Amino acid sequence: MPVQSRKWTRIPALLGLLALVALAGPGCRQKLPVDEGTVVIALSGAPSALDPRIATDAYSEQLLQMTHAGLLRRDPGGDLVPDLASSRESRSPTEFVFRLRPGIRFHDGRELTSKDVRYTFEWILDPKNRSPHKAAFDKIVGIETPDRLTVRFRLREPFAPFAAEMTRGIVPVNTAARGYAPPIGAGPFRVEDVEPGDSVTLARFDGYFGGRPAVSRVVVKFIPDSTLRFLELKMGSVNFVLNGIDPEMLPEIAKNGNLVIEEAPGSNASYLGYNLKDRFLSDARVRRAIAMAIDRDAIVRTLWKGKADKADSILAPGFWAHEAGLPEIPFDLRQAKRLLDEAGYRDPDGDGPAVRFTLTYKTSQNALRLRIATAIQDQLRKAGVGLDVRSYEWGTFFGDIKSGNFQLYGLTWVGLRDPDIFHLAFHSKMVPPSGANRNRYGNDEVDRLTEAGERETDRGKRKRIYARVQEILARDLPVFPLWINRNILVRDRRLAGFTITPDEDYSYIRFMTVSPPAPGAAR
Amino acid sequence: MTRMVLARLRQAVPVVLGVATLVFLLIHMVPGDPVDAMLGESAVAIDKAELRHELKLDRPLLSQYAEFMTGIARGDLGVSFRTREPVAREILSRFPATLLLASASLAIALMIAVPLGIAAALRPRSWVDLLCGTSAMLGLSMPNFVIGPLLVLLFSIQLGVFPVSGYGGWRHLVLPALTLGSGMSAILMRMLRSSLLEEVGQEYVRTAIAKGMSATRAVVRHALPNALIPVATVLGLQFGALLAGSVITETIFSWPGIGRLMVQAIEARDYPLVQGCVLFVALLTVSVNLLVDLLYARLDPRIRHE
Repeated sequence: MPVQSRKWTRIPALLGLLALVALAGPGCRQKLPVDEGTVVIALSGAPSALDPRIATDAYSEQLLQMTHAGLLRRDPGGDLVPDLASSRESRSPTEFVFRLRPGIRFHDGRELTSKDVRYTFEWILDPKNRSPHKAAFDKIVGIETPDRLTVRFRLREPFAPFAAEMTRGIVPVNTAARGYAPPIGAGPFRVEDVEPGDSVTLARFDGYFGGRPAVSRVVVKFIPDSTLRFLELKMGSVNFVLNGIDPEMLPEIAKNGNLVIEEAPGSNASYLGYNLKDRFLSDARVRRAIAMAIDRDAIVRTLWKGKADKADSILAPGFWAHEAGLPEIPFDLRQAKRLLDEAGYRDPDGDGPAVRFTLTYKTSQNALRLRIATAIQDQLRKAGVGLDVRSYEWGTFFGDIKSGNFQLYGLTWVGLRDPDIFHLAFHSKMVPPSGANRNRYGNDEVDRLTEAGERETDRGKRKRIYARVQEILARDLPVFPLWINRNILVRDRRLAGFTITPDEDYSYIRFMTVSPPAPGAAR
Repeated sequence: MTRMVLARLRQAVPVVLGVATLVFLLIHMVPGDPVDAMLGESAVAIDKAELRHELKLDRPLLSQYAEFMTGIARGDLGVSFRTREPVAREILSRFPATLLLASASLAIALMIAVPLGIAAALRPRSWVDLLCGTSAMLGLSMPNFVIGPLLVLLFSIQLGVFPVSGYGGWRHLVLPALTLGSGMSAILMRMLRSSLLEEVGQEYVRTAIAKGMSATRAVVRHALPNALIPVATVLGLQFGALLAGSVITETIFSWPGIGRLMVQAIEARDYPLVQGCVLFVALLTVSVNLLVDLLYARLDPRIRHE
C-alpha cells in the first residue's frame, strides 16, 4: 500500500549546501596571494626530504634552490660561478681551494665558515648516514680548513665533474638529519612552515648575502593533478607554475588576462632507448631505420603543441659540451624501409597489414607519454615494424629497463649537469647496477674517451673529447634523442623578474618583484 | 557485551596477521628496488650493497619477515626508508586529514541520503522517487575524478566560493567531502528507500496510520528505525573504506591523507611505510566493523550479543 503524504518533505541537504554557499559567499572575493606580495608556486609532487645532504628528487632540489646555498652555483647560461665562495682555484688537478665570502650568515644568524662546509661534505661521505650523494664525492680523500674562510679539497685522482657537484647546499655544523624538520641554510629564503604532503611556506631571509629578496613570502604547494594546477592558476590562488601545465591547456591560459606565459629552451632530453642485446636491435641499420621512420615534427606539433625542440644529442644545444655539427636524422620512410630490407627483414606484403617483425615498447603511465608511444606505434607500422606498447607503474618500468628486460623504451634525461653523463650512460662497464648504460652499449673508443673526459680539467679539451663521443653515438645510435621540451612558465602578470634557465633553477625567485594592482583592475 | 567485544578482537588477530603477511609478500615481490629509489642510479655498487645490508634487504625473505612480525608484536612499525621518520609518526601525521575528510563525507552523505531516501519511499514511483533514483544512478556512475573537477569548476571557478585544492580551513573541506559524500549518498539513499518500502508495507505502520498518525510521522517514527539496519551495514563498510584514504579524491584535491601517503610509499618502494599503512588501514576496518556490530544492538533490541 503506497503511503500518502499531503505535506511534501523538504530537502534539508540542499538547503544546507545553499547555506554553506551563502556563508562562504562574502569571503569569496578575498585578497589573492599576489595582492599580499606572496608568490604561490605549484609543484607537481611533494619533496621527499628538505635536506640537501639526502634529497635527490627534483621537487626537493627545486625547493632547496631557494633555501640553501652552495660553494658554487650556475648562472643562467649553465656555467659554474662562485656563490658562497668568492673565488676558487685548482693548484693541481687533484686539489681545489675555495675562499668563502666573509660575513655570510645562516638563517639563524650564525656565521658560515669553512668548518660548516667541511662538516656538510664529511656528513655526506660518512657511510652510516646513507647519503645518496656519497658517490658524487667519493673521489675526495681529504677536506682541510686552513682558516675560517678557506676550504681545500684533495681528490684521489683528477676528476673534472667535481666542480659541478660543488653546488650542493651547505648546512651548519652538527645538523642532525630529520625528514620534516629541515636544516637551515644560507639561501635567500628560510623555511617557515612545513605541512607534509601539502605545502611548504618560505619567508625571505633578510640577512641573505646576495641581497634581501623583494618577495616577502613564497608558498610552495604540492598539487599532483595537472587539471587542478590549471584551475588554481585560473583562480589566482596559485600564481607561478614552471613546467606543470599540459601543452593543450596553454591556449586556455592565454585567454586569461591575469596570466602570462613565458617560454625558454629547456635541457631535459627525451629519447628512444634500444636494447643492443636484442636480436633485431643489435643491428645498427635497424636502429637507424626505426629512427628514420619516426616523424618527430608531427609529434612535436600535435602532442607537444610545438613546445619542444628536436634533439640531436642527449645534451641540449645551449649546453657548453653540446656538439653543434651533428648530422640530423631526417624523417625518411623510404630510406627506413630500404635499411630494413638490407638488414634482411623484408616486409611480407609490402604496404599491407603484415609486419616485418614486432617489438615491445615500454613506457611509464604518464598519459602524454602513452599518447606519444601510440603515435610512434602508428608511424612505425608504415615502415612495416609492429610495436606492442606496454605501460607500467614507474618502479616496475624502471626496474625492467635497468635489468635489460625490454626492447624499446621511452625516457627522459633530467638534470644533466656535466658531460660525464656519457661515461655513466654509455661506458661498457656502466651496465646497471654499476651505472646507467641501460642499452648495453659497448664501444672501445667511447670507453677510452669518456674515461679521459673525467680526468681532463681543461674545458676546451673536454669539449673536443665529448664532441667525438657525440659523433660516435650519433652514428651507432644506442639511443635516439627525440626532443628537448621547452620550459614553460605560467605566472601572474604582476610577478616579474624571474629568469627561466634551461635547468629550471628556482633560486631566481629571489629576483622577483610584485607590482601593485592596476587601478580598477578586477579578476 | 564485553565478552562479545573480546571474542571479536580475538577473531581480528588472524585477519590482521594475514593482512600483514600478504602485504609483506606483495610489496617485496613487486619489481622495483628501494635502494635505487634512495640512492639513485649513479650510486656505486658498493654503496648500494652497504645500504642494502644496513636496511637488512640482503637477508633471506623469511628472516626479514620474522623481523617485521616481531616488530609488529612490539608495536614497532619501523622507520620509513624515504623520509627516515618512524612509520607510526608518518601515519599519524596524515591520519587527521583522512579522518576529517571521511567524517565530513559521511555527514554529507547522510544529509543527502536520509531525507531523499525517506521522500522516495513515501511516494514510490512518484516524480520525487524518479528524480532521486535518476540522480542516484548519476551519482553512482560518475567517478570521483569527474565529479571532483566538475565541483571545482562550479564552486571555485564560477562562483568563487571554495578554494580549488589544499588543506586548511573548513572551506578546503567542502568540495572533497562533497565529492566523496555524493557518491556514497547514492548507495545509501537507494538502500534506505528499498529497506523503508519493505517496512512501510508492514502491519504496524498501517496500524499507526489507522490510529490517526500522519503517514510521514508513522514512517519516520516507526518504520525508519527498523529500516536502518541494512543501511548501517553499508554505512560501516563505506566508512571503513573512507578511512583507508580515498586515493583519487585525495590526489585531485591535494589532500594530505593516508591514501596519498600510501601511493607515494608504493612508488618509492618504501617497504616499512607501505606495510605500516596497510596494517593501519586493516586495523581501522576491523574496528569500524566492530563498532557497526555494536550499533546493531542499539538499533534492534532483539539483537543481543550474548
